[in-house]
Amino acid sequence: MYGESAGRLRAELGVLLSQHRVQLRIGGGGTHTVPVTTTTEDRRQIGEQVRRYRQSALVWCHQGTVAVAPAAVSALVRAPTNPFLAASEPHGALHAMQRTLAHTVRTSTAALPTLDELTTPQALPLVESWRQVARAAALGEHDFTASLGQGRLDSRQQRTVIGDISAVVRALVVLDQRYTRIPGWEKLSHADRLGWGALACALDASLDPPDYSVDLRGWHPPSKLITGPAKPGLLGVLQAQHNLVLRMRTFPNVLNLRLVVDSQRLVSGSLAKLVQPVEPDLAMKWSAREQTYKTLQQELRNVAGNIGRGNLAVAEGSTTVSRATALKPDAELDPRALHGLDKLFDRLDNRIADVIEDGVRRNTYVARVSVPELAADSGRMIAGLAEQHVPFSASDRLDLSELIKSCLRPSASPLAPPDAARSRAELHAAIVHRPRGRDNSIEM
Amino acid sequence: MLIDHAVALTEARSHVAALADRARSIAASSAYEHVLFELDWLHDDDVPALDTTGLPHDRGMLLAVATAAIERLIGHGIDALRIELVLAALDGAWDLDAT
Repeated sequence: MYGESAGRLRAELGVLLSQHRVQLRIGGGGTHTVPVTTTTEDRRQIGEQVRRYRQSALVWCHQGTVAVAPAAVSALVRAPTNPFLAASEPHGALHAMQRTLAHTVRTSTAALPTLDELTTPQALPLVESWRQVARAAALGEHDFTASLGQGRLDSRQQRTVIGDISAVVRALVVLDQRYTRIPGWEKLSHADRLGWGALACALDASLDPPDYSVDLRGWHPPSKLITGPAKPGLLGVLQAQHNLVLRMRTFPNVLNLRLVVDSQRLVSGSLAKLVQPVEPDLAMKWSAREQTYKTLQQELRNVAGNIGRGNLAVAEGSTTVSRATALKPDAELDPRALHGLDKLFDRLDNRIADVIEDGVRRNTYVARVSVPELAADSGRMIAGLAEQHVPFSASDRLDLSELIKSCLRPSASPLAPPDAARSRAELHAAIVHRPRGRDNSIEM
Repeated sequence: MLIDHAVALTEARSHVAALADRARSIAASSAYEHVLFELDWLHDDDVPALDTTGLPHDRGMLLAVATAAIERLIGHGIDALRIELVLAALDGAWDLDAT
């Protein structure tokens, strides 16, 4: 997930930015009270190791700009009046930063860290923090290909990502200046241009309020079926519902979809009664869900479509019903399990909404036609029905889209993680951090 | 599908659907839905739309018309045993609704 990898990157850079006397931290001189514990050669090797880790962070920044740049629009550019036209002007600051990053990565003599270097803990805390930075950057490369690139973000999310990349670039530039006294240290090529580019991007991104919901996007580990014997009580319902959500990845035909819908109506109804004494709000929500599925079930009676499968989803739905209805009124209701079940309900509702919208759009699901429409001249001896099914676009009887919009799709947009803003604020504070002197004054 | 077959099937589906909508409990309603599903499955989901006009208000009447319409399907090439199974499911749903 982007929020986790980028958050880790920011946290470790924040730690590094708070460390000022770098020579002391790698065993070098600087004060008469602390003995020198490393040779110049040792410190040179430490510097090379740090540069390899830094290279990983630079590559992360570059890949981030490559992923976001094609669809990015500067907040300074006025949007075209025709909404079907893309903005004609590219994001100048972002492209400048991207070019400089590409140059810096290319001209650096440091290679990317090996897998051993990424996974072996380092003895010195400073180098260990750099290792964590490199690990987060290496993991974060997944996110740009998973769901952050290729125009999948809206403009506010794009600017949030650009702002994050700018902050990391600025942190790397500040650290680069601080590490110049390490023996054999190689400075970032065009560091000044990088710093100005990052500042321009950060200012551009700050013109709009950020959208931290982008933290929930990116690579996720694939979910797996929970196999094995049924868990006791409510956990068993949770297990079956989880498996049902996974099985619904397969596009179902209408008959199987109707059975899944029926199972959700029954599960919502029985669980709403069960949780009424302890969680009245949840009970009300699930009762409304039962009504939604009742209406959907009635609408689907007049929908046909043999394309698709969904047999395994039906089996899991049936298991969910049997476990939910077998729960006794005095069953233990763990609030975490109830919350998990509510999340799974939302995910399944979304998936069913996607399935119906896809089916209607591709005419995989079609509307049934009433009986008295005979083909007067079908060329056959016996007059049959003229049409038995028509596309939804030609039918005015069913309106599933309204039901999907108003009931099945959760109305609220995905919320940002609670510490999303704090993580960014901490990095920005660390970039301008100054150590305090002995008289508690800030050194300049 | 001949028009007579289509009319019998529509009649059966519409009346069973009405029973499902007027059921006294979710379980009974679901049981009627399963009868409807069985009817659609027998016809490979190639069935006409429901016709909700002129349905009787009395639930006993709805059951009688639905049963008669389902029995008429035997004359249209549907296996008699499967029809009996649908009728048994309908009786089961009715019993569940009555309790």
